[in-house]
Amino acid sequence: MSGGVAKTRLTEERKAWRKDKPFGFHARPEQAADGGVNLMVWKCHIPGRPGSDWEGGFFPMTMHFSEDYPSKPPKCKFPAAFFHPNIYPSGTVCLSILNEEEGWRPSITVKQIMLGIQELLGDPNPSSPAQSDAFLLFTQNRTEYSRRVRAQALIYPPPS
Amino acid sequence: MEDDSDYEDSYVASDVEDYPTSEDGDYGYDPQTEPEISMRRAAYTVLSEEELKLRQQEALQQVMQVLSISEGEAVRVLRHCKWDVNRVNEEWFADTEALRDKIGLVDEQPTGSGRRKESCGICFDEFWVSEMHAAPCNHSFCRGCWKGYVHTAISGGPAVLSLRCPLPDCSAAVPAALVTAVSDPKHREKYHLYSLRSFVEDNQRLEWCPAPGCENAVEALHEVSNEAMDVTCRCGSSFCFNCKEEAHRPVDCETVKKWIIKNSAESENLNWILANTKPCPKCKRPIEKNQGCMHMSCSQCKHEFCWLCLASWQEHGERTGGFYNCNKYESAKKRGDYDAESLKREHARVSLQRYMHYYQRWAENDRARSQALSSKAEANDKKLEVLSEFVATPTSQLKFILDAWAQVVECRRILKWTYAYGYYRFGDNIPDEDTAQKQQQGFFEFNQGQAEMFLEKLNGVVEKDLDNLVEEFKREPGLSEVAPDGSVFVDQASSPERQAVWSKFREQLIGLTEVTRMHFVKLVQELEKGLDQLLAFYSEQPEAEAEAEVEPAAVSTAEASGSATPAQQATAKAPKRSKRSRISSRAAADKASNSAAAFSLQEADSELEAEAGYWQCRRCTVINRDLNSQSCSMCAQNRRGPISAS
Repeated sequence: MSGGVAKTRLTEERKAWRKDKPFGFHARPEQAADGGVNLMVWKCHIPGRPGSDWEGGFFPMTMHFSEDYPSKPPKCKFPAAFFHPNIYPSGTVCLSILNEEEGWRPSITVKQIMLGIQELLGDPNPSSPAQSDAFLLFTQNRTEYSRRVRAQALIYPPPS
Repeated sequence: MEDDSDYEDSYVASDVEDYPTSEDGDYGYDPQTEPEISMRRAAYTVLSEEELKLRQQEALQQVMQVLSISEGEAVRVLRHCKWDVNRVNEEWFADTEALRDKIGLVDEQPTGSGRRKESCGICFDEFWVSEMHAAPCNHSFCRGCWKGYVHTAISGGPAVLSLRCPLPDCSAAVPAALVTAVSDPKHREKYHLYSLRSFVEDNQRLEWCPAPGCENAVEALHEVSNEAMDVTCRCGSSFCFNCKEEAHRPVDCETVKKWIIKNSAESENLNWILANTKPCPKCKRPIEKNQGCMHMSCSQCKHEFCWLCLASWQEHGERTGGFYNCNKYESAKKRGDYDAESLKREHARVSLQRYMHYYQRWAENDRARSQALSSKAEANDKKLEVLSEFVATPTSQLKFILDAWAQVVECRRILKWTYAYGYYRFGDNIPDEDTAQKQQQGFFEFNQGQAEMFLEKLNGVVEKDLDNLVEEFKREPGLSEVAPDGSVFVDQASSPERQAVWSKFREQLIGLTEVTRMHFVKLVQELEKGLDQLLAFYSEQPEAEAEAEVEPAAVSTAEASGSATPAQQATAKAPKRSKRSRISSRAAADKASNSAAAFSLQEADSELEAEAGYWQCRRCTVINRDLNSQSCSMCAQNRRGPISAS
């Protein structure tokens, strides 16, 4: 399979995203140094779900696609030290549908990934912790956990 | 530590040694006539790659016919049920839907007309439906995307065998036919390899031969238990079906595992350091004192101190008892200051020594086994032909030499593992009051010693004696003595003298092989039955019988000389004496030899022996045909005397 597949697919993904984008979400390929677009890296923003502690936050995330995409999933990263039980200290998201050995299928779209991550924010998976800080608070001190989440939401306000 | 590296070497060597034996083709595999004694008579067959494929096909056909499903589906079902056809039938008919659901079998969905275009769910391009592929769920994707999906999955390992449709939430299994249709030859081959491996690896009755480069598998023909089961592959390597280590009967898998870990672990190094060194009081580096006086100078930090009390040497000198003694130490020791520490050190030293004792013997036998293996190969390659000319016998009739070597190899292996057994069976210090334990140890060691003695003897005969014989023959060459004019033709090879020498050697070697075999069979049986039961069996019952036998004999000697005891009569009727009766008569004879009844009992024995036409050695059990001889032709045991230990 040539690298062409990844590029064509991403072009199509971009078209589809423009046509049908969920409310509050942002995603667009990175500006390359030469002024063009780099389809392989997407800059995204995921809104915290209304009604949850995450509400009001507008969390920046980057998607890195490899040449093997869509055979292999993209790598999704929040800023380092992002507070969430299933996000590694480096910021990488640990989610079953983003794991090649687990739930990844080539037909999962960018939109599905983004919605999946939004859901993960408000509904962590305690059976696969990725950082101790958030995980311990989530399992042992839920009030403090909520406070930290709300504080984090304030750090990432919506773009005005 | 040096011994560790030794161990590594020997271990690797023995692994490699297992191969070259595959060359002795005429010594082919046949579980029925396998000369090695310790092979459990468990039924098993060795299957080559071709045969495995055939077996796999058979299983598939069977399932396809019974369940009326396609081959692709049959593969899935069988894989799920660990390739057990009976289990397939059970699970399938218990709840077909649940099983189909679990492994992703879906009913074939109707396909639309091929004359329209549809977008591929992976690359989002438009394709003619006729050009797209789909699993039975009919979720179509273009060929290129399928190829990418399948190739990635194949590179990801054997999990590709349970590959599902690329659509999220669709659990339909991707049939093998689709995988092979879209993949390139390289990946296809890998896929088939995984499929075959799954047949062996998921199947409880099949195991790959662990020898490197060997592609055979061994199939157990009965229910597999968790017990040690030695099998020999067609490539010549023997391994345990249960734990995949080299064959190790009669020792169980758990002991072998512990022993191997122990041999490779660093723990013994630490033990050695603890037992034989003291840390320098200043820089704390461990120091071994191997000679000299108690005045130590640390080679690293130059600190001078006393070896006994570890205090600075400046406080020492003539007044503290000189260079070889230390008053400070003596008085402190009297106060009990050093006891705990020195006790610990002493204990570590003893337990290390014990380990070294067993380890050295284990490693020595391992090395000897490797040597015996190569000697056997050498005998097969070269020596037999030379010998065949010297004694005018075809090589096919010299097979008994190879048998003897095979016996040596096998016995070395058993003996080796009995040392691992002994190490774990009997602890560091058996307290004196634990007589049962002591007795068992004594019993075990006696049998081990007996087996070892015969093995050494057999090894000597088949190696040294045979070589000496050949050397002797060389000095008086046989058929080659043909003068050019053809006047003198001395056929030394078939001269009666040489034939006599040769047949004596032959008889001795065959007999010794058999006796050694018997001893090891006994050893293996004993260890497998467990020493507790055996000891009870040997000590109590025969004891009681012996009393009963000896007493009437002691009371009336005249009667005893006329008629033998009932047990002995029984043995006389059955020339093959049973183990128990032999033991009882032996016990009786031992007891009797100390009493007045000894003479009459011996007479009774003689009569019985004359009747039977042979006498059986009481130690090595060999049958001696010469009724006038007073010592065993095999082990030189005195015919009537007390049984000597070695």
